[in-house]
Amino acid sequence: MASGLDSFVNHTVSIITSDGRNFIGTLKGFDQTINVIIDESHERVYSTTSGVEQVMLGLHIIRGDNVAIVGLIDDELDNRLNLANIKAEPLNSVVH
Amino acid sequence: MLPLSLLRTAQNHPMLVELKNGETYNGHLVSCDNWMNINLREVICTSRDGDKFWRMPECYIRGSTIKYLRIPDEVIDMVKEEAVVKNRGRDMKGGRGGQNQRNRPAARGNFGGRTGKPGQGGRNPPFQKQKPK
Amino acid sequence: MASSGDKSKNQSGDQKEKKRKESILDLSKYLEKTIRVKFAGGREASGILKGYDPLLNLVLDNTIEYLRDPDDPYKLTEDTRALGLVVCRGTSVVLICPMDGMESIQNPFISQD
Repeated sequence: MASGLDSFVNHTVSIITSDGRNFIGTLKGFDQTINVIIDESHERVYSTTSGVEQVMLGLHIIRGDNVAIVGLIDDELDNRLNLANIKAEPLNSVVH
Repeated sequence: MLPLSLLRTAQNHPMLVELKNGETYNGHLVSCDNWMNINLREVICTSRDGDKFWRMPECYIRGSTIKYLRIPDEVIDMVKEEAVVKNRGRDMKGGRGGQNQRNRPAARGNFGGRTGKPGQGGRNPPFQKQKPK
Repeated sequence: MASSGDKSKNQSGDQKEKKRKESILDLSKYLEKTIRVKFAGGREASGILKGYDPLLNLVLDNTIEYLRDPDDPYKLTEDTRALGLVVCRGTSVVLICPMDGMESIQNPFISQD
């Protein structure tokens, strides 16, 4: 099992931040404090009423303090998703 | 690639910084350090609500208060270029040092030269123990 | 013998990195000038910089604190209070900028919504 994020580099990842936002993009780099570089990123905004909204964001450095989850995305599976039909409650922010 | 190296490469580029308190700062990066503290110039500060704006010639922002940084896309291409140049340099020095490692002090000089480079290389962890001066 | 050789090489390496202990912010250029300081927790103050140290502890004179709306902790009000001579703890300083040249402006982002 990989103990670091090395195996995720140059792959599509989903970053969930501590305020409950979800960013999808290419993980370009990271460091020990989990500051991450995410390229071609977009934010997916979930809503119970309309389908998922995607906001293009480009190149970002997200500070590790704010990163809750880094998940590897299976591109095939992701492309099969029909985002317009998906309705979901937005995530809450992290509670300590 | 390390986030801090990307940030160092982005010096003199415009960027957007959002702080944990929700304020956003648009400005050109003057300098940054290992703690992500940054110096920006020609800064426009936007309040959390997006209704108030201030312009200031420069400002210093503590790294710990940054939520994220939005960097222009061309910067990532510049970092790739830097990595290629560094690797070329390393191969050349490694060739010489590898042959004469025991005899020549130049090999040790190469060691110092490598860690002395501002980018610190992609493989070195950012919090390496620093030798006392 | 070999290790001392190493240290001298590392020192030249350090000099190339321009003394990591030095802050990227040179506060000497703000001495005797009015600066605006923001703190972790949301407080804001401005004052004349009288002194500082590498940890970013500051000495400000004629300090004015800008008070926030009690209901919305992110909203600045017109209220201020005078604090006089203060020492600001560097650990909670999040932003420093010179008051000189700072101005309030209209929305400069024309293309933004």
